Amino acid sequence: MKPVADVSPTAFEQELLGAVSAVHRFALHLARDPVRAEDLLQETYLRALAHRAQYASGTDCRAWLFTICRNVFLKGEARADREVATDDATLEAVAAAGLHAGLQGTDPLGAVFEQPELAEAVERALTRLPEEYRSVVVMVDLEDQSYAATAHVLGVALGTVRSRLFRARRLLQEDLLAFAQDAGLLERRKDGAR
Amino acid sequence: MISCREVIEQLWDYLDGELAPERMEEIAAHLAECARCYPQYRFEFSFLEAFARHREKLPGPPQALVERLRLLIVT
Repeated sequence: MKPVADVSPTAFEQELLGAVSAVHRFALHLARDPVRAEDLLQETYLRALAHRAQYASGTDCRAWLFTICRNVFLKGEARADREVATDDATLEAVAAAGLHAGLQGTDPLGAVFEQPELAEAVERALTRLPEEYRSVVVMVDLEDQSYAATAHVLGVALGTVRSRLFRARRLLQEDLLAFAQDAGLLERRKDGAR
Repeated sequence: MISCREVIEQLWDYLDGELAPERMEEIAAHLAECARCYPQYRFEFSFLEAFARHREKLPGPPQALVERLRLLIVT
């Protein structure tokens, strides 16, 4: 038997290895705990190897691993059948405009998001999101997955991805802007509105 | 001619590159000339950039775990 170090990985194995960091990031945001994330990552890979015949060559290996990872996570949480109501993505887009309108006099171009002090608040805001929203925003904004790939991984309709994503971004912006105001990075409006 | 309302409704889709090429061009042209819509575009763009920067700062998996997975995969 050849030593492990001498064994050349196949294309499938290369894809699995290349996705470790991305799946770990995804697991971290699902589990919100580094130790649980490591368990989740390992279990994901064990299942991927056990079910390698189900992987269609030429498809996105990361998306396939994200699907397994989330299924493992949801099984552990005993909430695989949980589904939030589909919201209206158009209403969310208009709501985002409303949030922005409230910043006309203070930070219309979003300079606050470039403040280094805000970095610590980003992860905290992400972990506060409900799982349904967190999964979507991590898939699209951190892992650069398309709406279609995200819908496939999460097993929801494309419209649900859009509405959850837009809602998640608005919740994150509200959280970050509140942090920025409390930290004195952004002027607080006298009427109390953001 | 695309309206401001249509641009705002599709701003996230535009930023995510999820629209047809012709629509992407229409919105880009509108944003280049519209003083009302451009600030919101910049605002949302800055927000997304903050997340892109955040991704680079996230800790990777522990090396020992990566090595365990590598052994698992190639054996």
